[in-house]
Amino acid sequence: MNKSTPKDQVNATVDRRSFLRTATRGGLAVATLPALIDSFSVQALAGGDPRLQQLLEDQDRILVLVQMAGGNDGLNTVIPHSDPLYYERRPTIAIAKNKTLRLTDTLGWHPAMAGFRSMYDEGKLAIVQGVTYPNPDRSHFRGTDIWLTATDADVFGSTGWVGRYLNTLAPSYPTELPAHPLAVQIGNATSLALLGSAGPMGISFRDPDEFYRLVNGGGGSGDVPSSEQSDTPAGREIAFMRNIARSADVYANVVKQANDKSGASSVQFPASDIGAKLKVVSQLIAGGLRSRIYLISWANNNFDTHASQTSTDDPTLGLHANLLRELSEAVTAFMQEMKNRGQADRVAGMTFSEFGRRVHENGSVGTDHGTAAPLFVFGAQVEGGRIHGANPDLVNLDPIGDLLMQHDYRDVYASVLLQWFGVQTGTAQQLLLRDFSQGAPALFKKATTTVDDASTRQAFVRIGPNPATDFVVVQVQVDANADAWLALSDLRGVQHRIAPVESWTGVCRFDLLGLPAGTYVLTLHAGRSITHTTIQIAR
Amino acid sequence: MADLRERTSPLTLDEAFHLMRRMTLQPTYARAMSIVGKLPSEAVAALLDAPETPFASPEWATKTPNITDFNEAYRLFVELQNWWIGRVLTATSPRERLVMLWHSTFTSDYLNVYVSHWMVAQHQMLRTNAYDYSEISRRIVGDAAMLRYLNGDQSIKGRANENFAREWFELFSLGIGNYTESDVLEAARAFTGWRITGLVGSYNRQLADLGEKTILGQTGTWEWKDVIDITLRQPACARFIARKLLRTYVEHEPSTEAIEAVASLLRGSEYKIRPVLQTLLSSEYFFTPNLRGALIKSPLELVVGLASALNATSVSRQYVSQVMTRLTQEPFYPPTVEGWKGHHAWITSSTFPQRQRFGESFVDGRQIGSSSKLTDDAGGALIPNVIAFFKQFPDSNDADKIVSNVAQALLAVPITKEQHDVLLEIMLAGAQKYEWDVDSAAAVQRARFLIQAIVRMPEFQLM
Repeated sequence: MNKSTPKDQVNATVDRRSFLRTATRGGLAVATLPALIDSFSVQALAGGDPRLQQLLEDQDRILVLVQMAGGNDGLNTVIPHSDPLYYERRPTIAIAKNKTLRLTDTLGWHPAMAGFRSMYDEGKLAIVQGVTYPNPDRSHFRGTDIWLTATDADVFGSTGWVGRYLNTLAPSYPTELPAHPLAVQIGNATSLALLGSAGPMGISFRDPDEFYRLVNGGGGSGDVPSSEQSDTPAGREIAFMRNIARSADVYANVVKQANDKSGASSVQFPASDIGAKLKVVSQLIAGGLRSRIYLISWANNNFDTHASQTSTDDPTLGLHANLLRELSEAVTAFMQEMKNRGQADRVAGMTFSEFGRRVHENGSVGTDHGTAAPLFVFGAQVEGGRIHGANPDLVNLDPIGDLLMQHDYRDVYASVLLQWFGVQTGTAQQLLLRDFSQGAPALFKKATTTVDDASTRQAFVRIGPNPATDFVVVQVQVDANADAWLALSDLRGVQHRIAPVESWTGVCRFDLLGLPAGTYVLTLHAGRSITHTTIQIAR
Repeated sequence: MADLRERTSPLTLDEAFHLMRRMTLQPTYARAMSIVGKLPSEAVAALLDAPETPFASPEWATKTPNITDFNEAYRLFVELQNWWIGRVLTATSPRERLVMLWHSTFTSDYLNVYVSHWMVAQHQMLRTNAYDYSEISRRIVGDAAMLRYLNGDQSIKGRANENFAREWFELFSLGIGNYTESDVLEAARAFTGWRITGLVGSYNRQLADLGEKTILGQTGTWEWKDVIDITLRQPACARFIARKLLRTYVEHEPSTEAIEAVASLLRGSEYKIRPVLQTLLSSEYFFTPNLRGALIKSPLELVVGLASALNATSVSRQYVSQVMTRLTQEPFYPPTVEGWKGHHAWITSSTFPQRQRFGESFVDGRQIGSSSKLTDDAGGALIPNVIAFFKQFPDSNDADKIVSNVAQALLAVPITKEQHDVLLEIMLAGAQKYEWDVDSAAAVQRARFLIQAIVRMPEFQLM
C-alpha cells in the first residue's frame, strides 16, 4: 500500500467531487457505496493497528480471470509423458518427453510454457487436474455457459457466478453505483460471468483512453430524458441500455484516471492480443482502480484445435504451441509487473476453458471436443508449486473416450470465494447454488476475515445472517467478567452502532435498518483487547 | 400467444414503418409511405416479389484461387467486405436481411477460410437459396468455405473429424438437447469423403465411410445426404428454425406457442421460407403494438438504416466496414461458429457509446469520434443533407410537427410528451417555435441537433 499524504487526501476529495459532478451531469443520481475501499481509508481506519490493516487490505483482493476460449487441450499442456497410452493415442501430435519442460517425474510442461514452469517452481502457480463437471457438455456454447453461470449441466442459468458474487458487494447495483467499477472486462463484449440479476455487474472496454473519448465525445446538443419504464419488450430494452450507458458515463473517468496515474509499465508485455489486454489490466490495478474482478479472453474460439493443432513435422510447434506461449508469456509479464508495482500480494489469477479435448487425436492433426482438463491458478498469495489431483487416467475413460472428472470446476470457484475473497461458507453455497466447500482445494493463502488477540480467549463465535439486511446477531466468546461491547463501523471509519455484550450468553443483536449496503467492520472491545471482523449488509 | 390470422386492416404509417424495419435494411420514410393504406398481405407480397438487381461476384472470385501470400489474402478480405457492403447499402430487397440470418447461422469467417473466393461462393449460395432452408442445408455440407471452416475437407474415413457434425446438429438444425454425443460421432462418419477442388467441394464416395450408422435412432448405411434428410424430418428442426425466424422478424424471446405455430408453417412449406414470411409478417401477431421496438438493431441495421434514412448510402464501403467492426459485427468475421449472438450482446459499455458517437458524427458528415470528414465511395466529402431529409415530411415548417415526424421515422417506439418537448427545445436551440423556418440558413445546424439528440437515445437502438 502506498503511503497516503495530505496532498493525496486533497486529490481524493477533488476526484470525488469531479466524479460526482460528472455522474450527475446527465441528471442521474449516483450514490457511492462503501463496497470498495481505497488505501487511504484503510490506513485511516486501521489507525496504526496492523492487524486491522491486514483485515481491511484483504477485503481488497483482485482476481483476474483468463478464459482460454475454444476448449484447451489439457493433455498437450500438462503432458503425462510417462504414460505410454498418451503416445499411442496421439501418434502425430504427442510431445516427446525430452521436449517437455520438467514438472514432476511423470509430468512435463509444454515447451512453450517456460514462464508457467518458473512460476510453478517459485511456488506461485498451482495446477488443478481433471476439472469438469458431471455429465459434461461438448458444445462450446453450452459448455461456456455452464462454466460462466456455475450451474449443473442440465440447468440453464441466466446470471453469472461472478455477477452473483458482486451482487453481494453492491446489492443496489445499478441503481446505486460504487465509486469504482466492480468488474472490468477488456474487450468489446460483456461476459455472461458478469451478469447479475439486474444486468451486467461490470463494464467492458478495449482501451481506457478510447473509452473515455467515446463516452465524453458527444455532440453539442443535450440529452433526452428516458420515458417511464414500461413493462413491454421495448421498455425493458430501454432500461437495459440506460443502465449500461450510465455505468459507462460514470466509470469512463475513473478508469482514465487510473490509467493515467499508472504511468509506463516496468516490464515489456508481449505483443499478443492477450498480452495487450493484461497490460491494460496491470495499468488499471497499478493506477489504483479498485475493481475486484478483471476478465480477459482470446477474441475467438482460438483453442478449438480440430485441425493443424501442431505442425506436422514438429509437434512442439504450431497453433496450440503459439497459444500456450501467448498465455505463459503474458501472464508471466503481468505478474512481474504486479510485483514491481507492489501489488503482487493483492492479485491472483485463474485460467479456465469450456472443456479439454479428446484423448485420441483425429485424422486432421487435431483433437475433437473432450471433457476434463487442468486449470491454473497463479499469484504470489497462491499456495503454489502444487498439483491437486492425479495424473490423467488414460485407461478409464467415459464411453466417448474422454477423461473422467477429478474436480468439479465449482470446487475451484469455492476456493476462490472462500479462500481468496473470504466469503462465508453459507454465502458461497448460495452463490454456487450448492455447497462445494468440502471439495475446494487449498489454492490460496486465506483472506483474513477476522483478527483477534491470541492472548485472550475472546473471539467471534457466530455472525448471522451475513450478508445481513434488517438485523444481525453476533455471538462472541468473552471472559465472564469482562466489560465487553461491540461497535459497527463503515469502511470510512464512521461508527454507526454500539451495543453492550451480555457476557454470560455472549450474544448481541444489531438493528441495521437505515444503513446503506456494503462492507462493515465489527469490532469487539473486551477489557483492553480489541478484535475485528467484517460483515456485509445487503439491500 | 401468437395469433397468425391475417391482419385485414390497411397499414397505418406506424405499421408501415414497423413492416419495413423488420423486413428490410432500409426503412425510409418514402418506402414506408409507399405501402401505407395497403393491406399487410399485399404489402408483404409486393416486397417479397419486387424485382431485384443482379449481384455479380467480383471477377477475381470466379477464377481459380491463386493466393500467393498473406498480403494478397488480406487484400481480398477487404474486397470481399466492400463487395457485400456495396450491396446492402443499395439493394432494398427483404432478401438482404434474410441472407444475414443465414450468414450468422451457416457461418464461416474469412480468416479461417482464408480463400475469399470460397467466402464469395458461400455467400452467393446462401443468397440464391435464402428462401429455402432445406436447399441451404443440402448445399452447405459440400460448400468449400464450410469444408475449410469446420474441417470437413480434412475428415478422413476411420478418423473422422467431428467438428462439422457437431455444429450441424447444435447450430444449424436441431439445437442442444435434441441429439446425442453418439449422433455426433456417427454423423461425423457420414460426413467424410469431401475435399475441395478449385472453387467447390467435391464428394468422393470412395473416401467416404459407407458403413452402417445409427443417427437419431435410425440405422442404415447413411451418407451425408441421408443425415440431412433424417435431421430435417425431426420435429425439433422446424422448431429450431422457427425460433431463428421469430428472433429475426418479431421478438427475441418468442413463446413456445409462437415457435410451434411457425414450425408448423415450416413443415407445411417443406422449409420454404417465402410462404412462412408471407403469413407471419401479415399476421395480427406481427402487428401487436407491444412488439414495436422489441429488437435491438445489429450494427448492420444501425448503419445502413441511418445511411438510408439520410439518403447517404453512397458512404464509403470501407468506412461502413470499419464501423461494423468496432461495433463487433465485422463483415464475414463472426466471433465464433455460433455466428453473432445478437440482441443484448450488441450492447456493452464499450459499444453503446460508440453507437451514439457513430450516429452523431454521421449526421455532421464526420467519422466516428473524430474530426475526419465522412467520405463517399469515390473519396469525395459526404455531408448528409438534413434539410432535404426534413423537407420530405409534410408541414416541415411547423416546428412541432417536424419533431413528431422525424421521431416517428427514426424511432420504433413513440416518444412521450416530455421527450417531444425536450427534442423541440434542443432543435430550436434558444429560438422561439414561430421562428422555425426550414429554409433559413440557421435550420441546418438545428436539424442536426434534433437528429443527433434522437440517435443518442437508447430508443434509437431499437427496431
